[in-house]
Amino acid sequence: MDIIPQLIVNSIIAGAIYSMVALGFNLIYGTTKFFDLGYGALAAVGGYSVFYFYKGLGLNLYVAIILGILISGAIGLIIYRLVYAPLRKRKSSGMVLLVAALGVMTAVQSIVAILFTSQFQTLSRSAGNEAVYNIFGGVITQTQLIILILGLLIMAAIGLMFRYTLFGKAIKAVGDDEEVSKIVGINTVKVIGWVFFIGSAIAGLAGILVGFDTGIEPTMGLSLLLKGVIASIIGGIGNVYGGVLGAFLLGFIENFGIWQISGEWKDAIAFGVLILFLLFRPQGILKL
Amino acid sequence: MEYLIHIAILISIYAILGLSLNLVVGFTGLLSITQAAFYGIGAYVTAILLTSTGMNFFLAMLIGIVITAVISLAIGFVLSKFKDDYYALGSFGFNVIIYSIFLNWQSLTRGPLGIPGIPRPSLFGFTFSENLWFLVLSVIILIIIYFLCKFITTSSFGRVLKAIREDEEAISVFGYRVLWYKLTIFVISAGMAAVAGSLFASYITFIDPSSFTLTESIFILAVVILGGLANNKGAVLGAVCLILLPEILRFVGFPDDIAAQMRQVTYGVILILLMLYRPQGLVGEYRL
Repeated sequence: MDIIPQLIVNSIIAGAIYSMVALGFNLIYGTTKFFDLGYGALAAVGGYSVFYFYKGLGLNLYVAIILGILISGAIGLIIYRLVYAPLRKRKSSGMVLLVAALGVMTAVQSIVAILFTSQFQTLSRSAGNEAVYNIFGGVITQTQLIILILGLLIMAAIGLMFRYTLFGKAIKAVGDDEEVSKIVGINTVKVIGWVFFIGSAIAGLAGILVGFDTGIEPTMGLSLLLKGVIASIIGGIGNVYGGVLGAFLLGFIENFGIWQISGEWKDAIAFGVLILFLLFRPQGILKL
Repeated sequence: MEYLIHIAILISIYAILGLSLNLVVGFTGLLSITQAAFYGIGAYVTAILLTSTGMNFFLAMLIGIVITAVISLAIGFVLSKFKDDYYALGSFGFNVIIYSIFLNWQSLTRGPLGIPGIPRPSLFGFTFSENLWFLVLSVIILIIIYFLCKFITTSSFGRVLKAIREDEEAISVFGYRVLWYKLTIFVISAGMAAVAGSLFASYITFIDPSSFTLTESIFILAVVILGGLANNKGAVLGAVCLILLPEILRFVGFPDDIAAQMRQVTYGVILILLMLYRPQGLVGEYRL
């Protein structure tokens, strides 16, 4: 059996997941200019919310997923209001925000672990007998196909939002210059609040989809998030399409990198790529 | 009594780690989140040498320091190209890469199985097998490291470091070679972390990669930030607080697995609160 088609399919699926995380991260970074690492923990929040509603309470699958997305978004918004908004008001340095975000991440993922134990769980009820499609000799499951489609849809939605809506323009304005946006009458606190809500909801969705594809554990967010951050930096940080491009590139590098060696090296490869990019092209592919 | 000695030994190991990281984060202003990697290299070198050749502990510790120093020189050189947030992110990357090496270089480190049966240190026929004597040894080493840090930070070398932290360009205009200073302090700091690693390996007598994750680096950072940046006493104080606090939680009556998670929640929340209300820590002399 030829392995290359499967590697390509795997790369695309990984790219789709990373691009979702990168989209949310880029949205937040582009507006607020700080590395929100706490954002990763929200993927676990989304995954475990669905686990609770769908498997615990036996709610309808779609209701559970929508609740999971809303809860992640709401928690992201609350964290912004409680922690980041006061810090930003005081003009704290990026490093203070980064350390606070590390605190958020550690606390949130441990709270999830206390509530649901740190065991690996799977979300899908029908593990193993899922519909499977064959594409050019590579195998893709139904869940993975949904991940791919949703990833592209979210990218399109965010791209359209930036181009055609007033809200998208307001976000861009705040990202360019917060002070001046205030002067022209943009309610920056509200806009940034919405950005956190949307970004966190996307993180939650990514967590849920990973949960259906492989499974969830409380610490899943960190590695997902770091991949999203790496993808954003490779593509050009703050750039919506750059993040997606970087995500797929990272997916391919990772999956082809482990062709000959053990899969455990994936994270090391991803960070190796990050460091190479930071050294030789810190502005990413899509920035001049 | 045994229990108190155990806590005291842990405190001295983390105090050494805190002191070492404070040199880089507090005094030089470089937000490095990779200390657990150097701690791990020290621990692994010592463990491998002790179990495979049976050489003297102190010699093995020395070799550990040298190897860590060489690796940290290379890492420090790469990191010196980055600034602020990117510095932190790059250091994250090296922690993940070195952790992957611990996990995957199975012929050397035995991977996730870890290395058991590491002997306790011995000197002139006397073995520190009693925990009380081990405590004496670690406190002596802690005191040596403390005075070494004090010497470094009050010397003219230390003043240059603080100047780099406050204004890198100004000090380089005066003809100081900033890169050389940054590298030197980074390597010294890594060497000290390796000492802590050697102590840890021979105290627990078993090591596996899980002790040297990114989370551990964040914990060491929390020690430094809680105690107080750019204050040597602060690093020790931070270690005392962060090791004792979760033990108190254990006495309140949480079961063991929840207590472990509670420890994480506590220090996550501590980081957030510190950034919000007291970014310089308890007795710190510098704010991020």
